Amino acid sequence: MPVIEVRDLRKTYGETRAVDGVSFSVEPGEVFGLLGPNGAGKTTTVEIIEGLRTLDSGDVNVLGVDLRRDVRAIKSRIGVQLQTTGLYPRLTVREVIDLFRSFFPGATRSTDELIDLVELREKQNTQTKQLSGGQRQRLSVALALVNYPEIVFLDEPTTGLDPQARRSMWETIRQIRQGGATVVLTTHYMEEAELLCNRVAVMDQGRIIALDTPDQLIAQNFSESAIEFESLVEMPPEGTFKTLPAVLRTERDSRRVTLFTRDSMATLSELTALAEAQTIKFNDLRIRRATLEDVFLKLTGKRIRD
Amino acid sequence: MKTLIQLYIASLKEFVREPMTLFWTLAFPILFILIFGLVFSDADSPSYEIGLAVNDTGPAGQALGAAFHSVPVFKITEGSRDELIAKLKDGDLRTVIVIPEGLSEKMQAGEKAEVETVYDPSNSTSAQLILQIIRQIVDGVDRQMAGAPVRLTVEATPVAAKEATFMDFFLPGILGMSLMQLGLFGTAPALVALREQQVLRRLGATPLPRSTILASQVLLRLTIGLAQMALLLSIGVIGFKMHVQGSVLGLIGFVVLGALSFISMGYMIAGLAKTQDAVTGITSMLNFPMMFLSGIFFPVEVMPQWMRPIVEAIPLTYLGDALRQIIVGSPPAHSLSMDAGVLAGWLVVCGLLAIRLFRWE
Repeated sequence: MPVIEVRDLRKTYGETRAVDGVSFSVEPGEVFGLLGPNGAGKTTTVEIIEGLRTLDSGDVNVLGVDLRRDVRAIKSRIGVQLQTTGLYPRLTVREVIDLFRSFFPGATRSTDELIDLVELREKQNTQTKQLSGGQRQRLSVALALVNYPEIVFLDEPTTGLDPQARRSMWETIRQIRQGGATVVLTTHYMEEAELLCNRVAVMDQGRIIALDTPDQLIAQNFSESAIEFESLVEMPPEGTFKTLPAVLRTERDSRRVTLFTRDSMATLSELTALAEAQTIKFNDLRIRRATLEDVFLKLTGKRIRD
Repeated sequence: MKTLIQLYIASLKEFVREPMTLFWTLAFPILFILIFGLVFSDADSPSYEIGLAVNDTGPAGQALGAAFHSVPVFKITEGSRDELIAKLKDGDLRTVIVIPEGLSEKMQAGEKAEVETVYDPSNSTSAQLILQIIRQIVDGVDRQMAGAPVRLTVEATPVAAKEATFMDFFLPGILGMSLMQLGLFGTAPALVALREQQVLRRLGATPLPRSTILASQVLLRLTIGLAQMALLLSIGVIGFKMHVQGSVLGLIGFVVLGALSFISMGYMIAGLAKTQDAVTGITSMLNFPMMFLSGIFFPVEVMPQWMRPIVEAIPLTYLGDALRQIIVGSPPAHSLSMDAGVLAGWLVVCGLLAIRLFRWE
């Protein structure tokens, strides 16, 4: 039985349809990603589920509880990390965690366990306003884990972090999942979604335009991979590449050629033959598979970071 | 309850660890008091030129005349009304008191009678003090005489014999003012900051009831209000030999009630205003009229008649009146229960609006 069920969710701000008929469900134990550019409606969607915003219409059921019926019951069983981390600036890390532990009626993790979980031991007596962005974000994640939540919502947890801090956050997210909690993750980083999520809902303009595992999303939208190279000698005429096995189409940009192929190995071996015959001379040969970024570009006609 | 206490302690720590806020909250009223104290308190024996025209030859006229003469800070010149008013216009007198003809008869007949006071409003702070003293005396004499066979020993009324210092008159007003500013400047911007820093939203994502969050904030402000009271009174009593007349319990009661009314007003503003700038605008717009129309710095009598309804509506008018009555034993402008009632009314209205307008973000 799904831990979250959303049916035909709608939310309008003035003229803007922030969430425009969204339906999905989240299975227990999975990492579910909401992927899309800023303003796609991801945050509004999760904040409605978290009970922070009201919905205009639709049904939301969290852990078997109707959102309209008992928001507080839901709030005491979930953990929330908000996009902008609201912390008491003058309290220390320990004090903030202690404070949040007092908010939950049921069992809570010990302050020390939480501090170790997010690796803030050295900063435990530092006031939160003196923490770096990554440290604040980690504290914010610790606060989301206080009550042994059954579902953890992480909203853009790695935005603004340097690559090292980002990797450390990914590690923490994996640990949360191993601990048995379901994770709902919103992000606009494609690689993050590809790396962490079991299933991804791609959102744009308040709607879900695709929902599947990252692999399936790529396979459904791109049956081909791309072989790219430059040639150091004069290029043969265009037709040369089109006739190679498995090639679907080609693109050419002065010295750079991209071959889209159903079977990259077959194409590559013929290409190597051409190179041996010295018809071409490779430089910077690459084979790449499509990414979620390409999926998004194909589905919406725009890049996600625009 | 556990949660409320934790949240209260957390807010208190936040407040105490912000040195600038702490300093201004506690230092501002003190600075105010010190400035007033030092500027006006050549203070030990201020003396005012007062004109007195006694046109009533009955016992009331005599009693009042004697009572005014006994006020240590009044230097009395007697004469006819016209003479004295001419002197007032020349600047030789601060205030002229006219005891009208037939006052004693009217009082014996149980009718209302008025003692006329003519004063120079240009020096409104001393006019405030003088009017207070006159009111006290008239009130005292009135109490002694009303309904009873005439007693000729009125000059011994305790009110008139009491020494009044500047602090006695200004400190209650400044306490009232600092409670008002605690509510306006101390509450709304802090709540909007919590909102802008997203702290409220984060709290909103926990199962905490919103009433607990509000209650912890209100408790914090109340603590600050009581600390301000303790500080101001200590300075008044120790530094300026002020006398606290009424019950301390009643005083605390009014400080709490007054603080709550203004705090709820602050929360109402925080609900109305979207940004810090809007908060500043609204609070300043309310602060100045309330400060100057409430009779704390200027006697209500100097204000034009059309403003009186505003004066009568402002909560600070009643808080100031109650604090004066309790701290100094001033004659009441309103009964204490009326003061309490009006303040409670403001508390209920602003409180309901504050809850209705409260926003997490």
